[in-house]
Amino acid sequence: MKEKFARWSTLFLQYLKRDWKKIIIWILGLGLFSGGFVPAFEEIGKGQGLLGMYETMQNPAMISMIGPTPVDTAADYTLGAMYANEMLLFCGLFAMIIAALHVVGHTRREEEHGLTELVRSFRVGRQANSFAVAVEAVLINIVLALSISGIMVSFGADTISAEGSFLFGASVGMAGILGAVVALVMSQIMPTSSAATGSTLGIVGLLYIVRAGTDVSNVDLSMINPMGWTYLTYPFTENNWAPLGFAVVFCCVAVMIAFALEGGRDMGAGYLPEREGRGTAKKSLLSVPGLFIRINRGVMLSWLIAFAILGAAYGSIYGDMQTFLGSNEMMSQMFTLSGVSMEESFTGTIMMVMMGLVSILPIVIVNKLSAEEARGHLSQLYSTKMTRTQLYWTTVILAAVTGVVGTLLAAGGLGGTAISAMGDSSVMDMGDFIAAGYNFLPSVLFFTGLAALALGLAPRLGKVTYVYLGYSFVLNYFGGILDLPEWFSKTAVQSWIPRMPVDEFDGAAFAIMTVISIALMILGYLGYLKRDMMEGA
Amino acid sequence: MEEMIRVKGLQKKFGKFKALHDVTFTVNAGEVVGFIGPNGAGKSTTIRTLLGIIDRDGGEAKIFGKDVWKDSLEIHKRISYVPGDVALWGGLTGGEIIDLFIKLHGGGDREKRDYLIKRFELDPKKKSKSYSKGNRQKVGLIAALSVDSDLYIFDEPTSGLDPLMEAVFQDEVEKIKQAGKAILLSSHILSEVERLADKVVIIRQGKVVETGTLDELRHLTRSTVTLVTEGSVAGMASVNGVHDFKQIGNQAIFSADNKYINDILSEAVKLDVKKFEAVPPTLEDLFMRHYEV
Ligand SMILES: Nc1ncnc2c1ncn2[C@@H]1O[C@H](COP(=O)(O)OP(=O)(O)O)[C@@H](O)[C@H]1O
Ligand SMILES: [Mg+2]
Repeated sequence: MKEKFARWSTLFLQYLKRDWKKIIIWILGLGLFSGGFVPAFEEIGKGQGLLGMYETMQNPAMISMIGPTPVDTAADYTLGAMYANEMLLFCGLFAMIIAALHVVGHTRREEEHGLTELVRSFRVGRQANSFAVAVEAVLINIVLALSISGIMVSFGADTISAEGSFLFGASVGMAGILGAVVALVMSQIMPTSSAATGSTLGIVGLLYIVRAGTDVSNVDLSMINPMGWTYLTYPFTENNWAPLGFAVVFCCVAVMIAFALEGGRDMGAGYLPEREGRGTAKKSLLSVPGLFIRINRGVMLSWLIAFAILGAAYGSIYGDMQTFLGSNEMMSQMFTLSGVSMEESFTGTIMMVMMGLVSILPIVIVNKLSAEEARGHLSQLYSTKMTRTQLYWTTVILAAVTGVVGTLLAAGGLGGTAISAMGDSSVMDMGDFIAAGYNFLPSVLFFTGLAALALGLAPRLGKVTYVYLGYSFVLNYFGGILDLPEWFSKTAVQSWIPRMPVDEFDGAAFAIMTVISIALMILGYLGYLKRDMMEGA
Repeated sequence: MEEMIRVKGLQKKFGKFKALHDVTFTVNAGEVVGFIGPNGAGKSTTIRTLLGIIDRDGGEAKIFGKDVWKDSLEIHKRISYVPGDVALWGGLTGGEIIDLFIKLHGGGDREKRDYLIKRFELDPKKKSKSYSKGNRQKVGLIAALSVDSDLYIFDEPTSGLDPLMEAVFQDEVEKIKQAGKAILLSSHILSEVERLADKVVIIRQGKVVETGTLDELRHLTRSTVTLVTEGSVAGMASVNGVHDFKQIGNQAIFSADNKYINDILSEAVKLDVKKFEAVPPTLEDLFMRHYEV
């Protein structure tokens, strides 16, 4: 038994030495994210803030996203209670995912790259590697837990007690260990490292979704969900350490299972057979559009789903809008426009925000073509009947279509949940939401055109489009409260578009911006026909 | 003879860096031409220009008598190309990528495809992200060899292939050569083209420095001679055409200019020859000479 783990400590030290930079970024990044928002939350909690937040967080849609709070009355909703309520689940989720990726990376992926073979030939035990990786993951998460606690305590906020802080940190750290352990088990079962990563993330996603349901219907049921053991500790309110005990027992059992499985398998293989791919291509792949739809499929689906969820999430707060806005001075200043309802005003702003996000996807797709080019994926295809014209317009049109669909999903998601949340008191119908979304379509096309221009003239500048998008976004988001000069605000492209439903639709602006966007695409096309492909550099 | 490729005084700059100074050569119908040069000599850059992937800054480049940049579409119908480093979409299988290439090229042959997959021992059902460099190269080669073309351009085609597969590749290229197709085969390893090439074009620092058949090129170079004589061999050192003279007792090893070989022999005879061995230059020797120049 002992020789199976022989020299694990050598490997362990080796890993620490090799990974120290990654570990520091991991602990600092996640530590600050988890513990560092205390001052920001103090700001939010001022005045009627805590009360408003409490009301908002009672919304089932919110509970399904961020989890419940044990507090029954708004009066008991302290800063600490709010912090744990809004932050803990997500911090734990991040810790889980990062630890899982780390573990798969150091076990199965290294086997695939042949590193493990090399290591095993040096008299280390069969299971020394997995053990060393497990110890490393546990250690990192303990340090992470302590860092988070330290950061939180250091702010000296009233209701952020020392015990609560330690429990908060420990909960996040335990989430990380859970992620590592699940990854260790899946690494033994799955046939390839990507399947191990995929199934681990799939399990984490599934646990998250299941808990969303049980949190809303019956929180006790969330207690039998391993993910529940991380955020149902309720730091700063009930300070319940028991769930962490369940998690420790679970981890010990899972680790033993992982080692038993590893002992019985061949290196580089899992228990499930590798799924065979297709030996021949489906007809739908065999064209330039077919190829580009296929290679962008994953990215398109995930963004489009994200837009719909985001829309739905924003839509769910329409029900409590009055309390929410009333409690937050910064926000209400942004939305205070005379003569319109809070909901309509909010729709105008939130639509601008969402359409900024929707603009990301077309840029991603246009930039994908230059990435493909730089990676040499297209080298051999250049010598076929495929033309630059086909490449360019397939990409640009695909990008524009995702913009149109993304707009529909975001606006529809927002409208659907908003209308149901407002119930009888609804002041808008679905048509208003969809119109408010498509009102911003020229700005989405403009960013598509800008990315296309870069693709044609200076492919290395493709990322600059994101920078300009970010700049416009920030300017629009905070423009309302900063009282900026008119010309400065106008450097953000969305500010040329009136915000429906508060403002009237401006057909001329809509048409002119669309034409400009198409002109950018055509300019990019002319450049793309003329320039050298990026190869060999 | 019909000219398949005609390159004359080709130039290409990348910013200030001049990658091609003066590239000139032709490939005729039915000819296999080896395009040889060290890494960074400009082989891939020349080939990319020929394919219309990049545009030239000067000179002339024609395939099938058509301009490689303006008429690239016409040209591409009749050529096949495999890049030196075949990069694939990790999420697609080898089989899918081969089919895609064949479809986009046109004129594919299903049976030939299946035959080549067997011949190269490729598993077409694996996602290409799990392929080694050699397997990726096989995908490119199978795709290019499955379609019917008049001109085949291979940029360092066998890098990453094991010797067995390299032999398979040479066999298959031999077949298209027998079918009368023209082939441009680039490599930095000379022995790779030795078996197939009718003609060799040597490029160095963006300039073609030598062109000709292997025999013609060998003529320009030196053989390695091992000579053992009864009399003192030392005198041979001063004979015309003898270089790098080394002596151990009565044995001498030197390199001899092929055009002085008669003079050298008649001097040696005077010393009562015990042993005379002349080894013709390998392509490597030939290549080294161009390095030294
Ligand atoms: N796109 C490019 N940008 C800048 N330099 C390049 C580019 N492509 C090739 N080069 C340079 O041109 C020279 C010739 O490269 P290449 O044609 O790839 O050589 P070979 O194929 O003979 O090894 C090298 O010095 C290389 O660094
Ligand atoms: Mg090259």
